[in-house]
Amino acid sequence: MASRGGGTPAASGASGPAELQLPQGPRGLSPPPPPPPRNYADHNAPRRRRNYPPHTAPRPLPALARVSREEAGGGNRWAVTGPAMADRRPRARPGLRRSGHNARAVAQTGSSVENKSKSVRSTLAKQGLGVFPDLRNGTPRLMLKRVMQNQPQVSPLAPQISNHEDTKEAHSEVPSQRVSSMGELQLPDVAPEDTSTTVFNMKKKRRKFSISEFERAAESRLPQYQAQSALDSTVMTRSLRMSVGSLLAPDTVEKRGLLRRPKTRRAVDMQAFEGRVEQNLLKSKGQNDLVDSQSASVIRTSMLTSDAEMMMNSTELFVQPLLDEESQNKLSALEPQLSDSKTSAQRSPISDADQEEARLEGLVSSVSTNQERTQRYSKSTGLDDEHVDRMSHVSPETPAKQGEEKQDHSQQSNPVAKISVTEEEVVCTAERGASAGHSEHLEKKLAEKAELQITAGHASRGETEVAPSAGKEVEEGSTGAHSSPRAEHEITRGIGAESLGRPSHAFSSFEKPEVTPVDEIDEQGDELQDQAMMLNLDSSVGEPAEDEAEQPESQEVSMKTPTFVRAPPHKLLLSAKPAKASAPSSPLKLLQPKTVPKRLRTSQKKPREPQVPRSLIKAIFRHFAKMPVTRDAFQIVEKCSERYFKQLSDDLEAYSHHAGRKTVEAADLEVLMRRQGLVTDKMPLRVLIERHLPLEYRRLLIPVAVSGNKVIPSK
Amino acid sequence: MKRTAPRSTLRKIIKKHKPQLRLAANADLLVHLSFLLFLHRLAEEARTNAFENKSKIIKPEHTISAAKVILKKSRG
Repeated sequence: MASRGGGTPAASGASGPAELQLPQGPRGLSPPPPPPPRNYADHNAPRRRRNYPPHTAPRPLPALARVSREEAGGGNRWAVTGPAMADRRPRARPGLRRSGHNARAVAQTGSSVENKSKSVRSTLAKQGLGVFPDLRNGTPRLMLKRVMQNQPQVSPLAPQISNHEDTKEAHSEVPSQRVSSMGELQLPDVAPEDTSTTVFNMKKKRRKFSISEFERAAESRLPQYQAQSALDSTVMTRSLRMSVGSLLAPDTVEKRGLLRRPKTRRAVDMQAFEGRVEQNLLKSKGQNDLVDSQSASVIRTSMLTSDAEMMMNSTELFVQPLLDEESQNKLSALEPQLSDSKTSAQRSPISDADQEEARLEGLVSSVSTNQERTQRYSKSTGLDDEHVDRMSHVSPETPAKQGEEKQDHSQQSNPVAKISVTEEEVVCTAERGASAGHSEHLEKKLAEKAELQITAGHASRGETEVAPSAGKEVEEGSTGAHSSPRAEHEITRGIGAESLGRPSHAFSSFEKPEVTPVDEIDEQGDELQDQAMMLNLDSSVGEPAEDEAEQPESQEVSMKTPTFVRAPPHKLLLSAKPAKASAPSSPLKLLQPKTVPKRLRTSQKKPREPQVPRSLIKAIFRHFAKMPVTRDAFQIVEKCSERYFKQLSDDLEAYSHHAGRKTVEAADLEVLMRRQGLVTDKMPLRVLIERHLPLEYRRLLIPVAVSGNKVIPSK
Repeated sequence: MKRTAPRSTLRKIIKKHKPQLRLAANADLLVHLSFLLFLHRLAEEARTNAFENKSKIIKPEHTISAAKVILKKSRG
């Protein structure tokens, strides 16, 4: 047996199957015929890759994929029975037709039934899917079918209205949504029709019922719907809309709620804003460039004119309530200023600055900071910035009004024209603009036309006076004459029609203050008093006060006295046209301020205080804090460091004086640090040095002994 | 990131406050050291204040309150 068994296989292996039977014939037993050779071609054939649409579920593992493919092919044919059917059935119901994805997903659960049908499925997979390889899984209609089936099952009856409303809401957004939904589903244009029909077929009762009913209700209610229904004639679109509506109902409702939500904007707090403006000014105090001041003053003049216009605007129709509070305060503050301007006899920059400072302090807290600065330029820059900030803040408030004012200005330039012209020249600084605003303000308050001529007379007088003073002012003026023509234009624009009469009087009074430093203090003083009185009388007018308040701040900066500053703007305001007279003189005056400020700037810039570089402080502080630090906090740190250095120098002087020395030594520093609590018995200075200072400095500070009986650094 | 100490600037600052005072050779380095330690203490204090306020950013009010304490401490 064994030998035979051994022999026959060998023999049979050697010979063909036909020969096998020969040796076994006598036995009577014929070995079972070998099974027919199997055809593994299809099994071994390269698997065809499916063209799954991109959005479909991720492809399973290759083995499973193949199985799933086969299963999908077979699922269409057979009712798959098996343990996996239970979970597969709900999905397989739609998938019975052709949802390859469901089948695939199910296949991933590891059903074992597919193994049978592998061959069949593989053939299936090969056969008909040359054109549409994904008919089972990947066609858009199938995908849509899947989507529809997986939608939350909503009762057709109850949500009818909600659906209707949703669709109503969705109508406005339907086009976009539909587009998006279409995009999401990635349905080609051709597919929708098919899918719609498929959808209907899939869920006959529920969907059809709801759709028809819904449509009826919708059409009955919404004209839009009908209009849109014309557009969306296809069943697909309607079904889609419904699906979209139901799907997107919560979103649209939410979105609409979002859209409808009223935007709550915080009302701008004038006080807070002004405070912040002042803070900004503080920050910008450092800029002492004449150029900066000039530009700032130019800006200021422009802004001032707008401010003046704003002032004019407010008087025309209604007084802005915002400005009332501040303006009244400022107005009251202005009165003392006016009186002060009267008394100021000196035209020297410092005195003017001081006066201005004094005035401004009362008005604005930031002015106090300016006081610290002896240099007018710095003050002017600060004020300029402040004023610019204020102007920028104020100007947007009255954009419309400015337009009105401009129209009025053209009418009024006349009487004081020449005066204003000369005044313009004189007024170099931004204060001029401020004073212009001031003057405008006063104009409104003061008497009307009759005084115009009087003021004209005054103005001419003031003109002559101003001319000599102009030269002086030019020296001091931070802004060049170029600002004056601009200011002139702007001021003229800003002048209100009715207030011209007042301004004339105000101008005269303003002019006087300007000239006061030069001459004729008394006359001007009277006028100033009148002005002050007028101001008092007109304290009800809110805006002017504000403008005055703003202007004094800006005025403070410029070298000119506040009165002087105010006066030129008045003239500037009044005379737009008759610049001819002043034209020849203006260029001369233009030249003068240009040269002088340069000299002053260079000479004044140098003693700019030495500061530890801001970036260094920032870097150090940030390194030690290990937390984000706001910019304002850095400002405070800088101030602290300044104060610290002041304290430090005082202490060092005390220690060195106590030791009878005039030089601060390292020992003094150590004493200081000991008293500060930095150096203790536990923490010697040396350790601190090693910890915080880089090597180069350590080497200099800590004596190190090296060979050769040498100590570095050598004492 | 840490840069060199602004030695000349420190000298100028002290000179501005106390013109008659002179500084020894490397004393300004120690001045710089003391300044560093001052900022260090200030930063720590401000950081503590910010933590107490449950804020992740150091705000000016934290710095101000820290400065009050540390400046008093650093008077010597």
